[in-house]
This record gives sequence, structure tokens and C-alpha cells, in this order.
Amino acid sequence: MDRKRTVVATAALIAGALALTACSTNRTEAGGASSGSSCDTSKGTLVVGFVAPLSGGLSALGLGMKNSADLAVNEANQQCKVPGYKLALQAEDDQSTAQIAGQAATKLASDPNVVGVIGTLNSSTAQSVAPILAQKKIVEISPANTNPSLTQGDNAASPARPNATYFRVATTDAVQGPFAAQYLVGTAGKKKIAVIDDGKTYGAGLAAAFAAEAQKRGATIVASEKVGEKDTDFSGVISKIRPLSPDAVYYGGEYPVAGPLSKQLADAGLNIPLMGGDGIVDDTYASLGGREGDLATSVGAPAEQLPSAKAFIDAYNAAGYKEPFSTYGALTYDATNVLIAGVGKGVGTGTFGDGSRDAVLQAVQSTSMDGATGKISFDQFGDTTSKVLTIYQVKGGKFAPVESGEFKAS
Amino acid sequence: MLSTFLSQIANGLVLGSLIALIALGYTMVYGIITLINFAHGEIFMVGAYGGLASMTYLLPTVITQRWYFALPIVLVVGALVSILVAVAMERFAYRPLRNAPRLAPLITALGVSVALQEAVRVFYPGATAAIPFPDLFIQGTLIIPIGDGVPIRYTGILLIVLSLVLAFGLERFVERTRMGRAMRATSQDRDVARLMGINPDRVIVLTFAIGGALAGIAGVLYGSYLNNINIDMGFQNGIFAFTAAVLGGIGNIRGAVIGGLVIGLVKALGGQYLPGGTAYDYVWIFVVLIIVLVFRPQGFFGETERVRA
Amino acid sequence: MSATTEAPPAAVAAPAPPRHTGRLAGLMNAVAPRARLVAIVGGILAIVGSQLPWATFVLNEGAYPELATLPLGFTGFRLHLVVLGLATIVVAVLRVPAVHRIVRALGIGATAVAVINGLYITAEGGGLGAITASDGAVAFGAVVALIGGVLIILAGAAGGVEPRPELDWALPLWIEWILLVVIFVLMLLVVAAGLTSGGQGGVVNPYSGAVFLSFLGAAGGAFAALNASGLLGYVATLSERHRVFSVIVLLVVALGLPLTSAGTEYWMTVASNIGVYAATAIGLNIVVGLAGLLDLGYVAFLGIGAFVAANLSGAAASTIGIHLPFLLVMVISAVVAGIFGAIVGSPTLRVRGDYLAIVTLAFGEIFVRSAQNNIGGLTGGANAIPNIPAVAVGGFKFNDSITIGALRLPSGVMYYVLIVLLVAGVMLVFGNLKNSRLGRAWIAIREDEDAAAAMGIRTGPIKILAFLLGAMLAGLAGAFFAHKTGVVAYDSFRFLESVTLLAAVILGGMGTIPGAVLGASILFVLPEKLREFSDYRLLIFGLALVLIMRFRPQGIVADKHRKAELAEIPEDAAKEGPGPLPTSVAP
Repeated sequence: MDRKRTVVATAALIAGALALTACSTNRTEAGGASSGSSCDTSKGTLVVGFVAPLSGGLSALGLGMKNSADLAVNEANQQCKVPGYKLALQAEDDQSTAQIAGQAATKLASDPNVVGVIGTLNSSTAQSVAPILAQKKIVEISPANTNPSLTQGDNAASPARPNATYFRVATTDAVQGPFAAQYLVGTAGKKKIAVIDDGKTYGAGLAAAFAAEAQKRGATIVASEKVGEKDTDFSGVISKIRPLSPDAVYYGGEYPVAGPLSKQLADAGLNIPLMGGDGIVDDTYASLGGREGDLATSVGAPAEQLPSAKAFIDAYNAAGYKEPFSTYGALTYDATNVLIAGVGKGVGTGTFGDGSRDAVLQAVQSTSMDGATGKISFDQFGDTTSKVLTIYQVKGGKFAPVESGEFKAS
Repeated sequence: MLSTFLSQIANGLVLGSLIALIALGYTMVYGIITLINFAHGEIFMVGAYGGLASMTYLLPTVITQRWYFALPIVLVVGALVSILVAVAMERFAYRPLRNAPRLAPLITALGVSVALQEAVRVFYPGATAAIPFPDLFIQGTLIIPIGDGVPIRYTGILLIVLSLVLAFGLERFVERTRMGRAMRATSQDRDVARLMGINPDRVIVLTFAIGGALAGIAGVLYGSYLNNINIDMGFQNGIFAFTAAVLGGIGNIRGAVIGGLVIGLVKALGGQYLPGGTAYDYVWIFVVLIIVLVFRPQGFFGETERVRA
Repeated sequence: MSATTEAPPAAVAAPAPPRHTGRLAGLMNAVAPRARLVAIVGGILAIVGSQLPWATFVLNEGAYPELATLPLGFTGFRLHLVVLGLATIVVAVLRVPAVHRIVRALGIGATAVAVINGLYITAEGGGLGAITASDGAVAFGAVVALIGGVLIILAGAAGGVEPRPELDWALPLWIEWILLVVIFVLMLLVVAAGLTSGGQGGVVNPYSGAVFLSFLGAAGGAFAALNASGLLGYVATLSERHRVFSVIVLLVVALGLPLTSAGTEYWMTVASNIGVYAATAIGLNIVVGLAGLLDLGYVAFLGIGAFVAANLSGAAASTIGIHLPFLLVMVISAVVAGIFGAIVGSPTLRVRGDYLAIVTLAFGEIFVRSAQNNIGGLTGGANAIPNIPAVAVGGFKFNDSITIGALRLPSGVMYYVLIVLLVAGVMLVFGNLKNSRLGRAWIAIREDEDAAAAMGIRTGPIKILAFLLGAMLAGLAGAFFAHKTGVVAYDSFRFLESVTLLAAVILGGMGTIPGAVLGASILFVLPEKLREFSDYRLLIFGLALVLIMRFRPQGIVADKHRKAELAEIPEDAAKEGPGPLPTSVAP
């Protein structure tokens, strides 16, 4: 009886499973996904590589970058930017560690269809990715690396470009930090400034560049402190700087720390503005505790004044990505578009092959286009020549532009 | 500067009471089944997210806008979520390994810790970065007028008071009630306890549940105190809490509280006065841990040197 | 030539069908008398399934491999299914020894292939219609193959799983040597095929993960079947008999990987990274696997080795700025890491077990913090130490490609050779240590420290020696790591990396020589081949740790000693008194 019941049950299970086959599919044969079938893609598919952290703690930034690159690739496919080819984005996870990033870069470099690579997020991963790609003459454009040595070499006194194929649309710490100092010390008239950073490449570099310029302009750096990149309790640091009565705090780091830090400053009775770099310009900054009057610098002219920036934001929202585009979304979008334009120009009506890599490199080097973050072109080191930055201030819970200007070293 | 010193003391006390709350769970679990429950820090983190979820998705604004309604509800929800996860963890991850060699449950605990953290990151909306956490208590800061003033947030005071009350209550529970006696018996000898009519499984589940509840409450208070939470908060504070439990003498409730306060003070004062400043404040905690383990492994309140192989 | 099998002859001739109890007992007992017939039916179904169409339409992401919408095909996973099905039929008809054990393994392979491909097509196709019937097209390949696979497993399980036969043929020496060479070369080819199966994943090739998993399932089934037949055991006996010869052949075969299909720059890089972690994991294996001292901050030694090498590499960012030859740098890295190992290990004199684990974790955290803050200007802090030059011998740089006549080896191949030799050397050290007086002392300490001390073992220095030697191996690997990666940053050495190393040791099998290498390989190759699941990587990793501890705590390659030790301890033996919960309330 037991046996019979089991057999019956099994039979019923199989029957049920087969009954479940009530044809549900997502079949949409014609031409695949949304890529406009109006384009001629007879020559095949070219791959836009992408390397950033897609898992672990930094994935919020990495996924925003990936989506933005994806958006640019999809738009390029619709607008037939590379005649004869379909473009496809291949995103690789670097787990924010140099050796995995190197593996990802090697993987991309060994694919003859990869026309270029967008990334990375961390400067340390870029240090391992850039030489690998340079060996194969594959263009890399980073939207987020800020360490000056990536383009200028290890010796700041006599800059020499280490990798001819490496470009970045992000401004280095050497531009953004001093620009902030010029405003905070010069325009806002703050003379006693506490500098805090998160000990990461971006934050520490930015804070150091800021501090140097601020001191040059006559301000006193009353304290230089570090917080952990994953900390949430900053009471120790705040109590430490409180008796030094600073009139402003400059924070080198990103919004998940900057927002709470700003709130905890006020909670401790320090009602002084916090200023940061583009890493803190995020819609959630205020909801995380950022206060009215907090300041930030950002690369390029403000989005409201740039139709291209608004277009990017609208297109991103319309595309319905799961994650927000986050800090480096617009820059990634621009970097991807620069690469695609370079490929379009370098390949022209011909076919892509190893011989086209020099042409693509030349085309990217001589880029001159208007992107979502402003005008983009590169100097002889591969750094962006755009020195237009904007000061933002929190007004009504959002960062609103205060003034834009071209950075001039003093 | 006296006021700076006192401010750092205040910071240390707030952080210390938080760590003490988490450490209680560590110390009880270790006392009963000699397991370093690495995942206990994640229980604390899960509690904070559970509480936040109830605020964001469950409760009507009528309640969320009034802290005296919201606070108890969110505390209970946070505690319940933590209890649930802690008990499930015990049932499915640790219980099958109860007679396994020592290494196995410890590695399992590491695995549970990584998995829980990632599960929240992948499945909780927006958890890839820090999330804002609402204020659940009287907003604002009390500035004690000494010198330049010593600021301490009202939520911080609540944290200190509540953790002391809970620790005291727990001590009474373990000492005075039948169930508490059963716990002590189980921790001394599980087999003899079973012979005395105690069901060790029930006692162990209860221990995990109590530890979970305290961690969940700590999670909600932590979120409310700092107004933001992230998925990494569990690991770091969990390690601190374990350090606190060891410092106080593992298995000892009063020791866990004092250990927690010491850790909080070491971090605050170390960041202020020791070389390297705030960049090295974590390092000092670990240095204290190593020194204590090497020179007094039984902790402040441990009675005998115990051999753990 | 004589085949001796453990199974009694009666079991081969007319086995009495076993009685099953427990879950599914009814079904099992129904199948038991005709198990071989069911297996043959299952095999036929698997073959039939492989020849039916698998997908009802061309998927949106691109056509599923092996012309899945069409019937008939003898490539890829369909070929694997045919082979598995045929093997089942042959084995069942021929009644080879341990027939049911073999059949069960083959069935698991067939089921895995059917499930993996079926699930992929279902998920990509947006529903079960993709593998059954939709818009007039029918494709029951996955369903039929799955039923076939399940039937085979059922037949194997119901027929009564025999003990594994122990084969031992005595052959002339030269035949045994040739046999070993052939077997190892075959193994190399299978590994290379596995690595390259599905090609490089990416947008152009969206199903590489599926192809790889399917290959893994099929190969795993075949491997298990060979193991069940006792053939693998024979190979093991054989290689044990010609130990030195096997080791040399294995080394030569490993060095031959660049000549196979996996000889691309990409796989050379991955293999080098695996090598670094394998060497480090072997070091950790000394500490954890042999001496039984749990170290949760072990990756710090890799980091110390890497930072030392970076500082002595002549990289512009290093503050020391001297450039020493690579071999000397390796020695210095190992020595410095070893010194730190001894320092970290010194608390073992007073601290044991779980407490020691916490102390090592604290050391690991202190290392990361210090490296992040650029302690002494030696670590570059947040900027790391970039642009470390490649290892160069004479004018030849190790990251260049080599061309010998018509043979062009990818760049990175020299690093591969170097790391293979390094890992081989480390394995040699480990193997000799394990079987030495010192190794036995470690194992004795692991089993019972007090008893070991009573036997006259000086436990203190010997425990510190375990840390010292383990850390030296990690330091060696670190020096290699610095030059291969070209940049050393503090964030390569965080706590999670220590857990990963520990997982490699545990997964492979604690205390065994090949275990650590196998574990490290798995932990690196799987995320590389399955990059589409990268968002869930850590979640799966955490759950896998829990499951391994639950179901196979001894790891893939079980150590003989460990096997005995990790067996469930009888209830009363486990109670060596967990500490009391003293609620010393009284002041």
C-alpha cells in the first residue's frame, strides 16, 4: 500500500509538472532586444568592455556606472553610431581588488572584438588594468579615477604618461581640491578649517590637495582626521575637532559617510558647513543627514544649464534601471560616448581589426564633444582638459548650483 | 581640555553601551554552547533593517511621526526580526553541528555572517549603500554646561539607560527564574541538566532568542542614534562586542557590560589622545584585546583559567 | 592480470534485491528487482532526450548552443548525454562490478546536464513553454532527459549501492609508467576543456556559464562513475607505487597547460592568481590543517610579503627605492613574513582555540588599518604602490609573450611557469613536513595538546614554528603577487580574503596536499566562469561554507587522519564540559 501510494504520488507529480507547461515564454523573435533594427549590423558585434566593482560594498557605485554605460551603448545602437556594427556592453566585476581587476582586463584584452574599456572605479584597480590594456593598445577611459599618477606618472615634478591608451573624464584631485579651497577660503571667507577624509584614494587625495591650497590662501587647517569608509559613528572625530572651533569642515570621501557626518556635526553643536567633492553630490545626501548650506564641488557646468545633462537624466530614468546612476553615472555615460565616437571615427566605413586600434586611439585622443558633464577633450597625458567646475550648495534638500567657473591654478 | 575629555567619555559611554547590548548575546551563547557566534553582529544589523522596514513599509504616518508610539513598536519589530533570524540560524546551521569538532561551527558562523550580510544587500531595497534611519526619540542634543559644553544626544542617553536596564533585567532573569537556572545548569553540564529534566535544546533556543532580541533592540537604537545604517555595521560592532565579552570574562553578564564600556572608552579616548589619532582608534581596541587575551585570558571577571582547545 | 574485487561473487551473479526503509522506500522496493532494466530504460530515455529539440524557439539573447531548437545533434551537452546514456546501458548490460554504484553516478551526471540546460532555457525563455511546447513547436528534450536521468539514479540507488571495488593489477613497470603518463595527460586535457568550455563569457556569448556548468555536471558524473568502478582508486594506487615518477609527470603535465586550448593570456593570469592563493592556502594548511590553530587574519602575511617585495622592486612609489634581484626579494619577503608570523603566533603560548582565532583576526585587522594609513610610508596608504616592474631576467621581461619557431606562447606564460614551480616547491615542503617528526608533532598538538606535551613535545616552539613556516610560504607567494599584479594595495588583504583562503583549505580538504590547491582553484575558477552571477557571488559563497560544514566537513580530498577526527563524535565524548555560565552576581 505504501509503495502504491508513492508511485501514485510520483505519477501525479509528473502529470502536474507537465500540465504546468502551459506555454509561458518571452518569445520575441524579431531582431532581439530594443536595439533599433533600422541599423545595418551586418559586420557583426563589437564589444565595449567595462570593469568596476559589481559585487560587495562598492557595488552601488559600480552598478550605477554599469547602467549608465549600458544606456550609452543602447543609444549608440539606435543611432547607428558605428556603421555596420552592433555594439554590446560586457561588464566585468573587479571585486574592488587589483588582482581580480587584472584578470578581468586580461579577459577583455584577449577578445579581439573589444574596442575599448570603460572603468575602473578605484584607482588601485586602474593601476593593474591600464598596463594590461596598454600592451594590447586597447583604449581605457575611466570615469572615476582621481589619482594623478595614473596619467602623470610617479614623479610629479617631471610628468610622463605611463600608459598611452589610458584616458579619464574625471578630474584629478589636483583640480577639484584647490577649486574648492579657492571658494571656501576666498569667496566664503572661512579661515579655520577641519579636514576629514575616509582614507581611500579619492578621499585622501582630494583632502590633501584641498588642504595644501587652503593653507596657501591663508587658512589654518585646525585638524586633519580620518574616518573609516564604513563607519557610521563619527562622535570621536567630532569631539576632537569641536574645541578647535573650526568654521568649516572639508570632507574627502563619498556621500554615505558625508551625510551622517554633517548631521552629527550639527548634533554636537557645530553648526558649520561641510564641504566635499563630487563624491558627495547625490540625491540621498540630504536624507542621510546633509544640512542646508553644505557645499560641494562637481565637474562640469550644472546639469540644469546643460541640456545634455538633463537629457541623460531623463533617458536614464526612462530606461528603468533598478539602481540609481549614482555618483559616477553621468561621467560614465560620457566616457562611453567618447569611446563609441572614437570607434565610429576610427573604424569609419571599414572593418574593425587590430589595425584599427591606432586609429581609435588617435580619435579618442583628439576627442572634442559635449557630454552630459560638459565639454570633453583630453590633454597630452590623457587627462580631461575640462577645468570647468561648479560649486553646489544644499538648498531645500537638494544640491543647487551656486557658481561655475574655470579652475586656474594660482 | 576638560570638556573635550568629557565629550569623549560621553561618546565612549554611548558606543560602549551599544557594544554591551550586543556582547550580552555573544557571552550567553558562548557560555551555553562554547560557540563564537560570528554571525551575532549580523543579527544586530538585521534587527536594524527589520525595524527600518517596519517604519518605511508598515506603520502609518500617524504613528511614525510620534516617537512615543513608534519607538516601542519599532523596537519590538526589530527584536522580533532578530529573534527569528537567530533562532533559524541556530536550528539550521548550528544544531546539526553540535557534536562536530570545534572548527566546524566556527567556520559555519563565518559563512552565516557573510551570507546574511549579502542577503540584506541583495534583497533589501537600497541596501547597497547607507540608508537613512529616522529619529525614534526626542530629537536634539543635551549640552551639559561644563567648559565649552559637553554635547550628548538624547538618543544617546536613551541608549545608555536602556542597555543598563536590559542588562540588569537579564542578570535577574538568569539568576532568579526557573528558566535562568536551567540555562546555568545547561551551561555547566548539558547531560546532567538533561537528567534533571531540562530540555537543553529549548534552553539553547531560548539563549539564541534572548541574544537576538537584545541585538535587535541594539540595532534599532543604533540606527536611531546615528540616523543611518549600512550592511557593514554588524561585522565591525560584532567584533567589538566579542572583544568586550572576552574582556569582561566570557559567560559573565556584568563582565560583558563593563567590557563594552571599556571598549567604547578605549576607542573614544584612544582616537583623541593616542598617536595616530582617529585613523588608528580601531587598532587600539584590537591591541587591548590581544593584551587581555595574552595576559588575562579569563577576562576581568572570569574566575578560573579555562582551557579551550 | 588478475582483477580482485571486494564484492562477493554472489552479488554479481544474482543479487537479492535489497530492502529499503525510510523515505521513498516504497518506490525503491518496487524498482529494486528490476533495477538494471530501469537503468537501461533511463539510459535510452537520456539518449532520446538528447536528440529531441531542447528549446521551442530561438531565445531573445541569442540561439542556445548546440542548435537546441532542432532535433538530432551530437555536439556539446547533447553529446555528453548520449555518452552518459550509452555508458549506463553498457554498464547495466555487462553487469560490471559495482554496477549500481556506477549507474547512480552516471545518472547524477545526466540529471545535472538535463537540469542545468533545462533551467537555463526556461529562465532565458521566460517560462516552461520554452522547453515544452509553445506556438506549435515542441521540445521535450530537457524533460525526457531529466526523466531518464532520474530513472538511472533511482535504478542505481534501488539496486543497492555496492562498496567500491579495489582494483590492483600488477603490470610491467614500463606499462604502468606509460599508463600514468597517458592518464595525467588526459586529465590535463579534461581540465583544459573544462576551463575553455563555453568559451569566454560575455555579451557575444551569453550562454558560456550554462555550457560550463553543463560540462561540469557531465564531467562530474563521469568522474564519479570512474571512481565508483574503482578505476580511479587503481590510478591512485599506481601513482602511489611510482610516487616520484608521478610527481614529476604531474609537474611536467601542469607545465604543459599553456600548450593546450587553455593556453591564453587570460587563463595564464587566472592560473597565476590561483597559484598565489594555492601557495598561501598551503601555508595556512600548515597552521590550520596540521597544527589545528585557526588563523583568521592569514592574508596579512601575503600582504606583508607583497609590500616587502613592492618596496624592494624599484617601483617609483616605494619610499625605500632600492631594486634587488627577484630571487633575493622572494627570500627577504618570506623571511619578513615569517618573522611577523612568529610574532602573531607568539600568543599561542598562552591562548588556545577560539581565543587564538580572535587574536589572529585582531592582527589581521591591525595590518589592514596600518596599511591603509601608510604606516611608516611603506604601504603607499590609499594610493597603494603602483607600477611595480615585471620580473626580468637579463633583457627578458616575464610579461612578454614568447615565440619559439612557429610556437607562440601567450604573455604571462613565464609567470605561470614560475608559479607552478613555486607551488610545486611549496607542496614538496608541505609533504615533507607533514611526514616528518615536526609534522607528527603538529598533528599530535592538533589532536590533544596536553597529551602531546605529556609525550615530551615542546608544544610552544613547535606551534610558533607552524606560524613561522606558514607565514613564510605566504610571504613567498606575496612577492610573486606583487610583481604579477603590478600594484599592491591594502584592499587586496581584507578579512574576506582571509575567509576565502580558509574556505579554500576547508573545501579542498584540511591537512591534505592537493586539497588546498584544489580548493583555491575552485574558488577562483567558478567566479570567473560564472561572472553573470557576480551579484550573488558572496551570498552563494557564504551559504556554501555553511553547507560544506554541514555535509562534507572533511572537504573534497579527505585526509586520512582528519577523516577519523571529523567523524561525528559520540554524544558523551563531545561533552568535555563547555564552560559554565557563571553569573557571578555576588560581588
